[in-house]
Amino acid sequence: MTKRTEKILVCCGTGCIANGALDVAAAIEAEVAARNLDVEVSVDVVRTGCSGECEQGPVVRLMPRDTMYYRVKESDASAIIDSLEGDPVEKLLLKKGGVQVEHMDENPFYALQHKVVLKDVGIIDPLSLDDYIAHGGYEGLKRALEITPEQIIDEVDKSGLRGKGGAGFPTGRKWRTAAGYDVFPKYIVCNGDEGDPGAFMDGSTMEGSPHAVIEGMIIGALAIGAEEGILYIRDEYALARDHIQKAIDSAYEAGILGDSILGTSHKLHLSIVRGGGAFVCGESTALMASIEGRVGEPRAKYIRSVQRGLFDHPTVLNNVETLASIPTILRDGGEEYAKLGTENSKGTKVFAMVGKVKHTGLVEVPMGTTLRTLIYDIGGGIIDDRHFKASQTGGPSGGRIPESLLDLPVDFDTLTEHGAMMGSGGMIVMDDRSCMVEVARYYVDFLCEESCGKCTPCREGLRQMRAILTDICEGRGQEGDIELLERICHTMEDASLCALGRTAANPVLTTIKFFRDEYEAHIKEHRCPAGVCAELTQFVIDAAACTGCGMCMKACPADAISGEKKTPHSIDQAKCIACGSCREACHFSAVLTEGRSA
Amino acid sequence: MSELVKEQIKLVLDGKECFCEKGEYLYDVAKRNDIFIPVLCRSDAFDDHRACCRVCIVEVEIRGKSKVVTSCVYPVEEDCTVYTQSEKIKEERAVVMALLAHRAPESEIIGGMAQGMGGTEGFARLTPLEAGKCILCGLCVQACDSLGTGAISTVLRGTEKRVDTPYGNPSKACIGCLSCANVCPTGEIVFEENEKTRTIWKREFELVFCEECGALMGTREMLERAAAETDGEVPKVCDACRKKAMADEMMHTYRFV
Ligand SMILES: Cc1cc2nc3c(=O)[nH]c(=O)nc-3n(C[C@H](O)[C@H](O)[C@H](O)COP(=O)(O)O)c2cc1C
Ligand code: SF4
Ligand code: SF4
Ligand code: SF4
Ligand code: SF4
Ligand code: SF4
Ligand code: FES
Ligand code: FES
Repeated sequence: MTKRTEKILVCCGTGCIANGALDVAAAIEAEVAARNLDVEVSVDVVRTGCSGECEQGPVVRLMPRDTMYYRVKESDASAIIDSLEGDPVEKLLLKKGGVQVEHMDENPFYALQHKVVLKDVGIIDPLSLDDYIAHGGYEGLKRALEITPEQIIDEVDKSGLRGKGGAGFPTGRKWRTAAGYDVFPKYIVCNGDEGDPGAFMDGSTMEGSPHAVIEGMIIGALAIGAEEGILYIRDEYALARDHIQKAIDSAYEAGILGDSILGTSHKLHLSIVRGGGAFVCGESTALMASIEGRVGEPRAKYIRSVQRGLFDHPTVLNNVETLASIPTILRDGGEEYAKLGTENSKGTKVFAMVGKVKHTGLVEVPMGTTLRTLIYDIGGGIIDDRHFKASQTGGPSGGRIPESLLDLPVDFDTLTEHGAMMGSGGMIVMDDRSCMVEVARYYVDFLCEESCGKCTPCREGLRQMRAILTDICEGRGQEGDIELLERICHTMEDASLCALGRTAANPVLTTIKFFRDEYEAHIKEHRCPAGVCAELTQFVIDAAACTGCGMCMKACPADAISGEKKTPHSIDQAKCIACGSCREACHFSAVLTEGRSA
Repeated sequence: MSELVKEQIKLVLDGKECFCEKGEYLYDVAKRNDIFIPVLCRSDAFDDHRACCRVCIVEVEIRGKSKVVTSCVYPVEEDCTVYTQSEKIKEERAVVMALLAHRAPESEIIGGMAQGMGGTEGFARLTPLEAGKCILCGLCVQACDSLGTGAISTVLRGTEKRVDTPYGNPSKACIGCLSCANVCPTGEIVFEENEKTRTIWKREFELVFCEECGALMGTREMLERAAAETDGEVPKVCDACRKKAMADEMMHTYRFV
C-alpha cells in the first residue's frame, strides 16, 4: 500500500524568515511528530524559497490540495494540520472582495504571473537536489551534453533571451563571441551583486532555486568552453550564499560539477566570491577587479570582457536571472521560450515591486506586460486607493515612469524610447504624496556614496547635483538650476567612465522631463506640490472636513495639534516640524498642505 | 628594406588627414600630428592610463555614427573622422573643467584651464570645496606604484574619495623620493626640506649628503632601497664623485704601467 503524501510548503525566504517562518515550520513539524501522522500519510514539511507575496508572509501552502495560508503564526500549526483533512482554516485565507480564496490561482497576485525563472521558487526545497531533479532539474544540462556548443548557442539565440541585469544584451550573441576566442582558460561569472535599493529578485532566486543558477552556469560553460566559474554574490546576501554553497556541494557530490560532468569529459569548477559591498561592484569591470583582489573600481576599456575579462581572459558575465532562464530554454527549446514576450524582448521578467502598492512582492510576468497590469491587477492598486504618480524602475540608473506611460508594454526597448527604462527589475511605486524632486535627490545622494569616485563627471557631477537638488528641496532653488542640472546630466551621460555615471543622470533627467512643473513650483513658488519637502510645506487642518477624531493628535511627534473631541482640530505652526504624520494618520483627508508664506 | 607592411588606418583629425597603426591610442596619433588635446591624468611616464579626468574627450565618427570617447585610451581600430573641438565636446569639456575647478579651488592651473575652456558662464552656481588643489587624477599613486613602493593610494569612494597613506598615518613604505610630488599636475602634494630632513606625507626623512662634495644624495630610505635592489652597499659618495674617483684611480694605475 502506498501512502498518500501531503506536502506542507513553508516559505522560508528572507521576508518570511523575518516574520517568523522558521518558528512556524518548526511548530508544524512538531505537530506532525506529536500526532504520529506518518502512519497513514507521509507529511513532508518543505522549507521553500520566497513565494512572492512577502508582505503577506509567512506563507504556507498545502499540496496537493493547493490551499494557501497567509500571515501564519506558530500557534496556527495545530489548525493547519487539522485542515489536511477537512475545511481550510478560514482566518488564514486571503480575502478578496469579501470572499475567501483558497487556491493560489484565485489570488490575482499569482494568477496573472507566468513563471519561468521562479517556477520552482516557493515550490521546492532549495537545499534538496532530489527535489530540484523531481521538478525537471538538470534535464536542460543533459540535453546540452548531447549537443555541440554551437547547438547550445543556437538554442539560446532562438529563445531571444536578453541579459536581465539591465542592459539587455542578447545572451546568445555574448556566448558566441566568447566561444570564438581560442584563449584558455575562459571563465563564466554570475553577477549576483544586486545593489539597487529595493531590489531582491536575484537574491530570492539564488535562495529559492540555487540549482537553476548553477545549471545555467554549467550550460553556459559548456557553450563557451570554460572550466571555471565564479558566483559573485552581494555581501549582505548571507542566505543566498549559504544556499548556493550547499547546492554547489551537493552538485559536486552527485557528479554534476567537478572533473567529469555527469560522467562526460567536460569539467567545471564553481566557487563563490563575496561582493565588495558597493553598488558599483555590480558593474562588469569593477566586479572583475574585485574578484581579482583589487579595489572594486571600473576600468576604462574599449575591449570587451568576452575577449579580455577576468585575468585578461575571455569571460562571460551574466546576471542571475539570465542564467536561471537557461535550463528551461535548453529543456523545452528556445522556440518555446520565444513564444512569450514581445517582438524584441522575449520571455519573462521578474520584478520586485515595492512602495505604495497594495501587494508588494516578487512577480514574474511575460515581457510586454503593461505597468498598469503589474500595479493595478497584480499589485492590487495604490494603498488607500490614492493616485498613482510614478514608478521608479531600474533603481538608481533607471527612470521615473509617469501615469501617461502606464499602458506601454514593459520591455527592454519601449520604455527606453520614452526616456525611461525597464532596468534590472527593481520597481518602486509612488503615489501623489511623493515629491519627484526629493526622490531624485534621494537617488543622487545614494550614488554619491556608491559611485567609486574615480572619474570627474560622475564624482563631481553627483556632488554638485546633490547640492543643487538639496537647495531646491529646501527652498533655495534658483532660476537656471534646471538648465544647469541638464548640462551636468548630459556631460555625465557622455563622458563618464562607466555605466554607473552614464546612467546616474536618469532619475534627474526623467523627473525633469515628466515633472518639470514640480521643479518649477519648488524654485519659483517655494512650494512642494506633494507636501513632502518640509521647508516648503505647511500643514493645515480643513475645519470643514475634520471630524475631530483625534488620530492626527496621537500621531504628531511634536505635540503641535490641539482640539476637543468631535470638534475641528488645529495645528500650531510654531511647533509643527512638517513631518507629515498627521496627514498619513487622517482618514478624512482633512489635513491639507500649502506652501509656506515666507 | 624588408619592413613589414603594418595595417594602416586613415583618420581625419579636425580636417587633417593622418595615418596610424591599428590599435594606437587616439591621443598619441593626435599629438604626433600636432593636434592639441588637453589631458590631465595621462603621463608619458606610464603605459596604461587611468582615464579618469575625462578632459581628453573627443568625438569620433565612424560610418556616420558619432560617439564621445576618451582619446587617451581609445584604440583606433578603423578609419574614422575625429573632432576635438565640436560644439558638443566644447560644452562637455567646459562642464568637466568647471567641475574640476570647483573640486580644486586653490589650483591656479586648473582654474586657468577651466577659464580657457569654457569660462565661468553658468557655473557660478556650483559649490566649491573649501580648499585644496587635488583633482584626483591619480598620477601620484601611479608614480608611487610604478616604483613598487605603494605608499599611497586612493581611499574611500564616491564623493569622499581622496589620496592618502594607509589610514592617514605616516606610511612605512614611503621612501620620501618625491616622485609623487613631481608628477602632480596641480602642486597639491607639498613637502618641506631643511638642511637635514625632508618631510612628505607626514613622515620625516633623514637627508644624506655626499661625503666628498656635499651634494644631496637623497633620503636614507631611498639609498637603502636602491642598495637592497642591487645587493650592494649603501653608498657614501654621490654618483659624480664615485665616477670621478674611478677615473682618478685609473689615471693613477695607468701612470705606473
Ligand atoms: C553600477 C552598475 C551596477 C550593476 N549591478 C548589477 C547587478 O547587481 N547585477 C547584475 O546582474 N548586473 C549589474 N549590472 C550590469 C552588469 O554590468 C552586466 O551588464 C550584467 O551583469 C551582464 O549580465 P546580463 O547580460 O545577463 O544582464 C550593473 C551595472 C552597473 C553599471
Ligand atoms: S562613472 Fe562613477 S562609478 Fe563609474 S568609474 Fe566614474 S566615478 Fe566610478
Ligand atoms: S485625524 Fe483628520 S479628522 Fe481626525 S482630528 Fe485630525 S484632521 Fe480631524
Ligand atoms: S506635520 Fe508632523 S509635526 Fe506638524 S502637525 Fe502634522 S504630525 Fe505634527
Ligand atoms: S615620496 Fe613616498 S609616496 Fe611619494 S612617490 Fe615616493 S615613496 Fe611614494
Ligand atoms: S595629489 Fe596631485 S597627482 Fe595626486 S591625485 Fe591629486 S592632483 Fe593628482
Ligand atoms: S519570503 Fe516568503 S513570500 Fe517572500
Ligand atoms: S587624460 Fe584622458 S581621461 Fe584624463
